[in-house]
Amino acid sequence: MPRTATTRPASARGRAPLAAAAAVATALAFAGCGSAGGGTADITFHMSKPEAIPYFRALVDDFNAAQDDVRVTLDTASNLSAGFLRGNPPDVGLLNYNYEMARFMERGALSDLSDMPEADRIRPEVQELVDQYATYPGRTSVLPYSVAAASVIYNVEIFEENGIEVPTTWDELIAVCDELETAGVTPIYSTFKDPWTLGQGLFDYAVGGSVDVPGFLEEMEEIGTEVGPDSAVSFQKDILEPSEQMRQLAEYSNDDAASRGYGDGNVAFANGEGAMYMQGPWALGEIAKTNPELELATFPLPSSDDPDDLKVRVNLDLALWIPEASTEKEAARQFVTYLMQQDVMDEYNAEFLGFGTTTDAAPVTDERIVPMQEYYDAGAFYQGLSRSIPLTIPIDNYIQTMATGGDIPATLATIDADWARLALRG
Amino acid sequence: MRAPRRRGRVGQERTNWTTLVILLLCALTVLLPLYVTVSMSLKSTSQAVDGNAFSLPAPIDFSGFAQAWELTNFPVAFMISLFITAGTVVGTVFLGALASYAIVRNWDRRLFRWSFFYLLTALFLPFPVVALPQIQLTGLVGLANPVGVIILKIMFELSFSILLFTAFLRSIPLELEESARIDGATTWQTFRRLIFPLLAPMSATVAIFAFLASWNDFMMPSLIIADSAQQTLPVVQSIFQTQFSNNYNVSFASYLMAMAPAIIVYLFTQRWVMEGVTQGAVKG
Repeated sequence: MPRTATTRPASARGRAPLAAAAAVATALAFAGCGSAGGGTADITFHMSKPEAIPYFRALVDDFNAAQDDVRVTLDTASNLSAGFLRGNPPDVGLLNYNYEMARFMERGALSDLSDMPEADRIRPEVQELVDQYATYPGRTSVLPYSVAAASVIYNVEIFEENGIEVPTTWDELIAVCDELETAGVTPIYSTFKDPWTLGQGLFDYAVGGSVDVPGFLEEMEEIGTEVGPDSAVSFQKDILEPSEQMRQLAEYSNDDAASRGYGDGNVAFANGEGAMYMQGPWALGEIAKTNPELELATFPLPSSDDPDDLKVRVNLDLALWIPEASTEKEAARQFVTYLMQQDVMDEYNAEFLGFGTTTDAAPVTDERIVPMQEYYDAGAFYQGLSRSIPLTIPIDNYIQTMATGGDIPATLATIDADWARLALRG
Repeated sequence: MRAPRRRGRVGQERTNWTTLVILLLCALTVLLPLYVTVSMSLKSTSQAVDGNAFSLPAPIDFSGFAQAWELTNFPVAFMISLFITAGTVVGTVFLGALASYAIVRNWDRRLFRWSFFYLLTALFLPFPVVALPQIQLTGLVGLANPVGVIILKIMFELSFSILLFTAFLRSIPLELEESARIDGATTWQTFRRLIFPLLAPMSATVAIFAFLASWNDFMMPSLIIADSAQQTLPVVQSIFQTQFSNNYNVSFASYLMAMAPAIIVYLFTQRWVMEGVTQGAVKG
């Protein structure tokens, strides 16, 4: 697949200049001695985060109005895989960076951007997040644009009413849960019906707080087919304790958690039906739809007894790349430079509750996520384990099993077996 | 004397309650979702996410329509959907009728018999199976656009249409055609003046199936059309569905606008749909 993706375009590209030349010739013939318009490069810009479409549409219009060399078209609906397969992917992509996107990079479909001055402005710890999925030797193919940081969202009013301080150790957290329960408040609002909410929430927080996620994954990768009960690292050994912690916390959930989905959770939490909610910043906007006045804040889930050992979960909300198959790389780079201007990035992050990825990024100002800034600045963050393993392993469903009462050691052993089998196949 | 007789007649026409209840339940399965769609589209964002799908919109809010109109660039997407659908319907009916006529009248020849089976095999070939090569192929020959979708769609619709057309054609007596021949009609004239008009009810059925299949299709346009500015309605509407956010009022407003043509077409053509389905069923 990678080979077809990179060689096919050659033939398609072969015709493009011809067609362009013909078009220019025709245009000239009709325009006579019109203004110089032959130098305009047309590029497409893929951005499909729905809530940000109006924002980037305005940005693209500004860019097009400001200069005549590059004309950008915003693409919000085309199918990326089909584009790469056909050999005409978008010239610039700004997407959520995840396992799926990493597969394009791993096969060399994304061009090297390391010589751009913008690449040097990215914080090394943040750039490393890209490498944790996959790397392509000698290339910086992806520039992180915005990071979403997630931790425990809590209802400030409920905490204050019950005289509760933000917990910084595991024991304190359990004490807080007990206290809330005695006061008749649901400590944690959970939505087990949507397995992903458990994976990115309770599970990732519990694991990330105590396990070195990238290190664990790297070793798992190395051991591959040998992963099992006796291997140096394994889910059944290293993830056992966090999984038990997750189960313990899950028991503090609302009674109807098993039949509640993500949408129900947002509405219920907005109406004060729980004190804590394990979701990322994406839920904040949804909660505000129901109750814009609600005062919320965040704290990293403590999973050890050391109050200084606290981390937040992050993911690459948006990352920039230019495909190898792009025929207008220079123009694409010009647009990337425009997007990477610090004030443009800061404005995006301020509006969509993201954290900056560059060394000179402005700090966040939204009260709800400000508490996470110190951990983010200190590099105390991790990418969620549940999002870092191949989609072939239905990890969210396994996590759901464990959270709702399934046999934890047996389920973790199943994940190990899946991992080994997948490694054998690959 | 009259009264009992009348009662007897009324008795014969007594309502069949069992059927009525079953039919009412069936009607509900259509009406309830339709009601939710309409009421959702008129709700405000905060009311739309409150978890009460059946509540009446209060206050009535049309902003969902405005947002959907703008986010999907509705007029353009609508015209492209319409273009693809019209192309598919016309192409399917015309090619399907021509091919079926040729096949049925030459059934004794092996070439025609086998081409019938060959065309039918597409029934067993779902698009996803051949998606990858089709994406590459359309890209190579410059058909990564709505025209390419029309061609592919006709190809996939053809097998079912030919199945319907041939069954129907066999019920048309050969004598009719012979009389046309005696009057000096060529094969083309026979088809154009006699067979095609006779096929009308079945053409309506085929057209409706082709209409629904191409109007509602998501996967083929999404994969085949390269330029997102030329995407169809179902594809541009997919931006409303994400894991992290719910915009029920905007999405349902958009769905309602997209559904309207299908409902209108059905209202006007349902008579032919039913006729067509039964007409092909029994061989004359």
